[in-house]
Amino acid sequence: MKSLSGMAAQSGMGAARKAPARAAASRVDRARRVALLFTAPAFAFFILLSVYPLLRVVWQSLRYANLVNPSVSGFAGLDNFRTIFEDDDFFPALGHTALWTGLSVIGEYCLGLVSALALNAKIRGRGLFRAIIITPWVIPIVVAGMNWSWILTPEYGVLNLWLVRLGVIHEPIAWLGRPDTALLSVTLVNIWRSFPFYTISLLAALQAVPSDLHEAAALDGAGSWARFRFVTLPHLRTVSLTLIVMHVVWTAVNFDFIWVMTQGGPLNSSETLPIMIYRYAMQSFDVGAACALASMMMGFMATVFFVQYYANQRLGAARTS
Amino acid sequence: MVVGKTVRRLQSALAYGVLFALATFCAFPLLWMVDTALKPLQEIQSLHPTLLIVHPSFDSFRRVLFQTDFPIYFRNSVIVAAGSTILTLLIAIFAAYVLSRFARSTLSRTLTSALLLSQMIPGVLLLVPLYLLMRTLGLLSSYGGLIIVYCTFTVPLCVFMLKGFFDAIPGEIEQAAEMDGCSRVGFVYRILLPLSAPGVLAAGAFAFINAWNEFMFAYVFINDEAHRTLTPGIMMFRSAHVTDWGGLMAASVLAVVPVAACFLYLQRFLIDGLTSGAVKG
Repeated sequence: MKSLSGMAAQSGMGAARKAPARAAASRVDRARRVALLFTAPAFAFFILLSVYPLLRVVWQSLRYANLVNPSVSGFAGLDNFRTIFEDDDFFPALGHTALWTGLSVIGEYCLGLVSALALNAKIRGRGLFRAIIITPWVIPIVVAGMNWSWILTPEYGVLNLWLVRLGVIHEPIAWLGRPDTALLSVTLVNIWRSFPFYTISLLAALQAVPSDLHEAAALDGAGSWARFRFVTLPHLRTVSLTLIVMHVVWTAVNFDFIWVMTQGGPLNSSETLPIMIYRYAMQSFDVGAACALASMMMGFMATVFFVQYYANQRLGAARTS
Repeated sequence: MVVGKTVRRLQSALAYGVLFALATFCAFPLLWMVDTALKPLQEIQSLHPTLLIVHPSFDSFRRVLFQTDFPIYFRNSVIVAAGSTILTLLIAIFAAYVLSRFARSTLSRTLTSALLLSQMIPGVLLLVPLYLLMRTLGLLSSYGGLIIVYCTFTVPLCVFMLKGFFDAIPGEIEQAAEMDGCSRVGFVYRILLPLSAPGVLAAGAFAFINAWNEFMFAYVFINDEAHRTLTPGIMMFRSAHVTDWGGLMAASVLAVVPVAACFLYLQRFLIDGLTSGAVKG
């Protein structure tokens, strides 16, 4: 806005010397009106698609409502929350969500870091490797799920046939059809599709590490490991923290992978909280319970982001002082 | 860097090893998809599967294209993805212009927080209210409903990306245009867009990919075959034809083609976009 009023004053001086203040004011006013007009659609969409649904989730979590039966209504107090805590599937689903999120994020971070370090080495063919490693991240989750379902299938699935031939397993395993392997298999697929995002972010951070720091450390006698530990890692701290926090939240609320590959089965062994929200809403039509669960998860998310925000601030403060 | 020759050799050998392993891990499922799609049935159901195809055939593609609803799904996906890309660009270009030119105003700051917020909130938590909203508006099982809902994630993405491109256009050009009597809308259409055309195209391609890949809303909001898009279509395809892996892989290959085309164009912008935080993983 500063440059705007400056420009306005300039043109005011030339054209309307008598009333420069008024001309400038009207010009700034006009710019402000244009800015409001230009951003109005974005704000309208934000209110319609984010603010309103957000408030509605909280509101509905306190009311009885059924998706197909409009006669169900009225204030419910905390009944919807009670429904969830008394649901036998809730605590297992909470455990599955924690396992799914923890393993996914750890696996993604490890692969992301290793691949970023390897891509940061000065070797030939880096561009090609980088392009290949990014591809899983671009293809639709449904396609990724179908590809892996085909690889993992017990009848004619390539993984089973190869593992049997190598003697690792005696007979084909229905990876997605057994309660003890289903969630882990989907986790593997999630890691496969999501780790390239870490690769690219960490690679960008690695390339921002000044090379003279490495040289200085090497001259002081630091070996490869010491340089990695004391020069490279500290530079990755902020981006790592951000990546991990974002992905903890996004993985915990991911619906697509699990629904596409196992639909929460077999025997609810891969059911996570987002799958429960879907079941409450679209299969038992219990809008109140679905919204109660959604608002609890929203509260969890807000807390995580809040903590991360303050952690980042303190990190920043510690660095400058 | 100051390291011995042997150490350096060792390091690059290690890097090559890691990269080969990871590239195989990343590429194999996709290679296997194309491979399976091109195999005849008896080679798909082989107990000794190899990447080698003895008798390549387009039977699976033919089956998918002429004996299933796949072409309808594909058309619907094109309509929805293109529709939401165009709507997104219409909204995002003007919003990004304001963010770029009046970067420090209260309006811009408010808009930035609003966009970040809508980018952060996961769709599944808003599934129920958005479903109810679309039902009230009569937009369930229609293209319009999906086109509008996809704006929640495509608009923030495009605004942040476009702002980066608009920042690169010097303010003097706008001042000159204004001196010549050009209005702001005129400036956006006659000068800003032509000058940043590659960037606008990149933002559009990215919005298109995201809309094309979306699954959950398409799965929940659309309940008739005539409007079903490709991602839920492929999933239903599987439950309907449990054993036809050849057909399923052929459908997957065809579903990836538009994404791959957009991505090829987008790739050179992607790294910058990622580092400036315009991208949601």
